[in-house]
Amino acid sequence: MKKIMSALLLSALGAATLPASAAEIVVIVSKQNPATRMFSEQASQFFLGKSSLFTPMDQADGSAIRNEFYHKVADKDAAQVKALWSKLVFTGKATPPKEYANSADVKKAVAADPKAIGYIDKSAVDDTVKVILTLP
Amino acid sequence: MKKQLLVAAVLAATAAVQAQAGALDDGNLSISGFGTLGVAQTNTDDAKFARYNQADGVGNSARLGLDTNLGLQATYKFNDWLSGTAQVLTRNATEGTFTTDLTWAFLKARINDEVSVRVGRVVVPTFLISDYQNVGYANNMMRPPIEMYSQAPIENSDGADINFQRAFGDLNFTAQAFVGVSRGKLFVSSGSGSTATYRAPAAGISLAGEYGPFLLRVAHARADMKINDIQPINALTTTLNGVGLTQLASDITFTTGKKIAFTSIGGTMDWNNIVAQAEYAQRRAKEPVYLPDTNAWYTMVGYRFGKVLPYYMHASAKGAGSSVTKPAALSRIPALNAAVTNLLTAAEQTSDTVGVRWDFAKQVALKVQVDRVKPGAKSGLLINLPAAGYNKNVTVVAAGVDFVF
Repeated sequence: MKKIMSALLLSALGAATLPASAAEIVVIVSKQNPATRMFSEQASQFFLGKSSLFTPMDQADGSAIRNEFYHKVADKDAAQVKALWSKLVFTGKATPPKEYANSADVKKAVAADPKAIGYIDKSAVDDTVKVILTLP
Repeated sequence: MKKQLLVAAVLAATAAVQAQAGALDDGNLSISGFGTLGVAQTNTDDAKFARYNQADGVGNSARLGLDTNLGLQATYKFNDWLSGTAQVLTRNATEGTFTTDLTWAFLKARINDEVSVRVGRVVVPTFLISDYQNVGYANNMMRPPIEMYSQAPIENSDGADINFQRAFGDLNFTAQAFVGVSRGKLFVSSGSGSTATYRAPAAGISLAGEYGPFLLRVAHARADMKINDIQPINALTTTLNGVGLTQLASDITFTTGKKIAFTSIGGTMDWNNIVAQAEYAQRRAKEPVYLPDTNAWYTMVGYRFGKVLPYYMHASAKGAGSSVTKPAALSRIPALNAAVTNLLTAAEQTSDTVGVRWDFAKQVALKVQVDRVKPGAKSGLLINLPAAGYNKNVTVVAAGVDFVF
């Protein structure tokens, strides 16, 4: 048991968090989506499983943009978001958002689905998607 | 040796499922899981501390059985509106060893953005955290407070439920109603311990409002519990019938099915790093039955320092009377009177808990928790009691790792 504990301590030290980057994040929907603007609290609802009106498209687990997004819209770190989703997943109430590797992939998925909502780096925006919220 | 094998098995299973999950995930099938690897120990061997419905309690030597479990879940999406989910859970419950049960298996149909219906074996949301009480990672405490969660034996039911979700401005409202038949085993702690099986048509409703970091929930559930094989009760009712106290015998027994109601109000808060959870619940017999009426509550408060969340909790279970009226004739047989009076009395207990959760790595949390359990009437919720009962405080120390994948 003691060995397990010290192993845990060591792995924890190894997992020390990296600082988030300071790029601007924008929340996007498909061009066909009638929404024009949104508050960050509203956007967080879809990503935290509290509303299924829109279908959230997430960035890769552990990516800097994902950590920053949840911090900005919900003031939650990755572990808090994971704990929240584990309540919904293991009660069979919802499935977590599908993950995409990067902003380009999220943009492609959102552009193709009128119900989708995603967030990407501002520099990745083009006219295939509509920006409804900018997170400073 | 057995323990080491178990640990190895749990770890191997986790690794195997993780490895497979990637291979099997064709976009429609998702496999996920949760578990806890925990050890616990108390400061006495005179009585044992156990979770509700656990036959094998923990005493003055470290045991894995109290908090260790492993759940595996598979969900298959047939299309946009229909999916199927099954979950199995391995834990140390009524059998005194680790056993695996099908916790739920249902088809879920999404009627629209706000309404979904599930048919099959679904979780019964009796209390605030009933539906995720076995998922250590989703909870701050090591285990659900037994003062509250021992009041309701029903975890799932075979039937259907309907979920409704709507936002009114910033208020998220959810409602869930279920109806079905629950079947399961109950651990009967009296004497050397035995296992009984129940069958209970059940129905209930829960309403929750979530406003930012605040959640408030009320719920009511009813079950018509029928239990044929609680040996100590059957022995008593046979004796009562033998001495002509037939009405009392039929009042006490569960063999004919008795309606029990559960009502609860609870809330959670996660605001400015202050984390709190509190709940109050009542169990009431709606027809005469030996099972005493009870009131229970708990309050947990914690403060999040980054990845570390220390918390304190107080929990209490108290009796609230009995649905059975003892006939005057019973007092003529003092021994029997004493036995019946004792049976109709609720176990009472309070506990104070301090603990800490540390989210030290991705999808893994370490918890350390110390419970100071104060058994009251009927030795509280302790099991494996000495004949004279046990009324000294018991300290329970536990450490565990919760994970999800």
